[in-house]
Amino acid sequence: MPVTDKRAPGVRISDLSVVYRTGAGELPAVRGVDLELVPGTITGVVGESGSGKSTLALSMLNAVQPPGRIRSGSVDIDGLGDVVTLGGEDLRKTRGRHVGYVFQAAQNSLNPLKTIGKQLLDLGRSHEVDDLPGLVKEARSLLDRMGLDGARVLDSYQHELSGGMRQRVGIMLALVLNAHVVVLDEPTTALDMITQATILRIIREVHEERGLTTLVITHDLGVVAEIADRLAVMYGGRLVEQGPTREVLGAPRHPYTRGLLQAIPRLVGDIDEARALPGRPPTLGTIPPDGCVFRERCDVRMDVCETGEPPVLTIGPRIVACHTAAGEGEQKETVTTGPTRGEEQA
Amino acid sequence: MTASTIMPEARSASAALRRNFWRGVWRVMKRKPSRMVGVVIMAGFAFMGIFGPMLYPERLPRDTNALYAAPSWAHPFGTDFEGTDVLALVVTGARYVLLTGLVTAVITVVLGAGIGLFAGFRRGRWDTVLMRITDMKLTIPGLPLLLVLSTIWKFTSAIEMGLVLGLLGWGGVARAVRSQTLSLRERGFVEAARGLGLSTPHIIGRELLPSMAPYIAMNMLIAVTGAVYAQVGLFFLGVLPFEANNWGVMLNLAVFGGGALTTTAALPYLLAPLLAILLLTLGIVLVVDAMDEIFNPRLREE
Amino acid sequence: MITGKGITKTFRQRGSMLGAREVPALRGVDFSMEKGGAVSFIGESGCGKTTLGRILAGLESYDSGEIAIDGVPMSSLSHRQRQSHFRRIQLIHQDPYSALNPARTIHQTLDAPLTLRAKQTGRSRSWIDERAEELLGLVGLDPGYVLSRYPHQLSGGMRQRVVIARALTVDPDMLVADEATSMIDVSLRLGILALLKDLRDRLGVSVLFITHDVATARYIGLDGELYVIYRGQVVERGPVETVIADPVHPYTQSLLSAIPVLHGLEVPGAERVTPTEAIDPNRKDTGCLFAPRCPFRTDRCEAETPVLGHDGGTVQEHACFHPRRRSVVATPAVQA
Repeated sequence: MPVTDKRAPGVRISDLSVVYRTGAGELPAVRGVDLELVPGTITGVVGESGSGKSTLALSMLNAVQPPGRIRSGSVDIDGLGDVVTLGGEDLRKTRGRHVGYVFQAAQNSLNPLKTIGKQLLDLGRSHEVDDLPGLVKEARSLLDRMGLDGARVLDSYQHELSGGMRQRVGIMLALVLNAHVVVLDEPTTALDMITQATILRIIREVHEERGLTTLVITHDLGVVAEIADRLAVMYGGRLVEQGPTREVLGAPRHPYTRGLLQAIPRLVGDIDEARALPGRPPTLGTIPPDGCVFRERCDVRMDVCETGEPPVLTIGPRIVACHTAAGEGEQKETVTTGPTRGEEQA
Repeated sequence: MTASTIMPEARSASAALRRNFWRGVWRVMKRKPSRMVGVVIMAGFAFMGIFGPMLYPERLPRDTNALYAAPSWAHPFGTDFEGTDVLALVVTGARYVLLTGLVTAVITVVLGAGIGLFAGFRRGRWDTVLMRITDMKLTIPGLPLLLVLSTIWKFTSAIEMGLVLGLLGWGGVARAVRSQTLSLRERGFVEAARGLGLSTPHIIGRELLPSMAPYIAMNMLIAVTGAVYAQVGLFFLGVLPFEANNWGVMLNLAVFGGGALTTTAALPYLLAPLLAILLLTLGIVLVVDAMDEIFNPRLREE
Repeated sequence: MITGKGITKTFRQRGSMLGAREVPALRGVDFSMEKGGAVSFIGESGCGKTTLGRILAGLESYDSGEIAIDGVPMSSLSHRQRQSHFRRIQLIHQDPYSALNPARTIHQTLDAPLTLRAKQTGRSRSWIDERAEELLGLVGLDPGYVLSRYPHQLSGGMRQRVVIARALTVDPDMLVADEATSMIDVSLRLGILALLKDLRDRLGVSVLFITHDVATARYIGLDGELYVIYRGQVVERGPVETVIADPVHPYTQSLLSAIPVLHGLEVPGAERVTPTEAIDPNRKDTGCLFAPRCPFRTDRCEAETPVLGHDGGTVQEHACFHPRRRSVVATPAVQA
């Protein structure tokens, strides 16, 4: 269970929309996303390619690159304020100091020409750290904590480290400036099963020891299942379902979550239970502008899904955006309608 | 799954593909006005090269009353030391220059790409031998060799000139194409083609070459400008026999004969061929910009 | 029927000035694959499973050992004859993005191998186009939509289907699928797996499935065999269900233990094994290769080299001195 730490800040993403400029006008990659990261928890965001999950992660740093831009909404971090309104030097200092980011394929994002230690010092200098020896000491103890020989790793070049070791260096660089909000984008892609298990265990342990608020972005339900307290499922730029991981996996309410779980072959049981989702995930250009984004692949589609924005239902600790869930009704506490198109201000 | 569509005959299918390609090229060109300007300039030079000499009599008329005449309606760029119209000289001189450029470009690209592709695809011993030859060729200094050659060979035809320049210029292309081939041959589709037992000519011609087409086309265009500079330079230095209507000779006469650098009288005579070279280079640079988009179906179709 | 005996392969890396470094990729691997059967190789990256797949597809040579296709030993053939045998084994690449030539339409991509095929079998031009449509239909694509398109206009799943259709142009006996679904969207993966399974049934083509994902291996070949490969050696081999449910080699157990558990749906196995980390590949190779990472190693493991066998009366073959079944795989949670 999450350890609530006084240091761990909460993060509230509200009504976030990110658009990309294309030949066909500005298309939304993320639309009306509301997500709260509870202090001291790990939240996992699951989605396929084109679901907008990486764009969402970049928004946490206000680092969406042109042709993309945050059109509306806010990312409010405790003790820092709304990241979306930050700019210039303030924003640069936020990155690393407050929000640590482990990039997708962090294994390959190290500078091959400099030792890890040199890169660490560069990081320290660019953030005007006065106590550089202290920074090195902190880095070494973090690496030691993750099961590496810290001193040796700092003296190494990227090519001298294995994929799993580089991933740990990435995590170290994200944490060494004492950030308490950490975003990990696909932390285990391209790693072997056993290495993946080790990295996931380390993320979980370091998260608890340092009192972090962590966001993990992945396409792999298994990764989220292993480490996340809360799970958010994205599809076509929308958050379609979120809630405590075990509850969502045990009894998914959104047909997409259900379909995704069913599409994963399992190690035990009847293999014919696995069923493929029909159709294919939408791309930026094929996301339907109105109605439910998932309707074309949905097995419980209704007429209303074509035009009506799915209602966002809060059912206890769970939130689901689906017309069919609205019918279940009896437990629901609050009903809010999702943002309609054109409502967001520029 | 029902296959309701009837496959058109293979021939018409490939014809349709070609049509789509040219439609795509047109789309790419229209995307930036600068590209169209480049195409117009190049078309203009091509017209000059092909039809230019036909517009004027075999021996250009001389107006002995107007030596080094200033620009006028009759002579937009003035006249030369013999009273010949400078514009006429530029236009009639274009054929030699452009033909040389074209021949050089074709030889550079065919030799360079051929050797590069073969060495990169075969690897091993062939690669070593061909690349040693290439390196040796790259170490030969071009200009001194040309100066020496010109003492025994008069390069009366543009094709001979282009041949020599081309044989001197393929080294860089060969090296670059080889390294691209080396990386491309590890790609899945090349490996699959080998696994399917497709012939080596197919793999090189149909799988590897199209992926390098933008690069090769760019090199071809750049080779044209290189060849133009080289030969104009040679004529300017005066190491080759004088032929009145050659851009390099014009420059030479304007500078050394007319004293264009010290007096203004011969200035138009100097500027006209320079302007032609500049315009040609500009046209090529503007068109080169489109090459990536033309040969990449993704960029072309979008 | 394809069999291999004692296949070895060593890569020579041109490294330091001191000369080449030798990296053994395969250290004497035996295998056999029935026609229409399914065999899966699992293991970590660098264990040699991909190299073995490439050797079978004729894309890589091997140093020693013997491969026989339908009883014909490959060493008895000339290079040319050997190539035509290996052509009956087609590789499906991991990356459907680089496996198709971006500058060629799907029609062109299929046309080239089919033209070759038509020439070999004396068929007419019209057969080629018919066959292209037939193959696309077979892999679940609409020929009318796909044929005139370029790869970038198709999704990852569709591209992988085109790659499979292209492999089928030569009427192969076996498809080698090397991580064929790892780069495809999660919701589309099962479709590709189901297709491979379907091709086994319909065309009688055998499938060699190379993966680190044991569950997908199980999905494709429940009736097949599983080979667990560690550092170029088979350490456990047997029927898929047996190896998954009753693994005896600690390495197999480690791999199975590392599979994420869908908490809420599943309960983790009671005896999950956590090995120590992957070790330096340059170390000495005496004794059991897994011993340095094995939590159950004894002095014997350091000194002697285990061989594949049924030691301890197990159904599957294994190479371990201390075989013991451990329940490491997650079981379904009882739904409340």
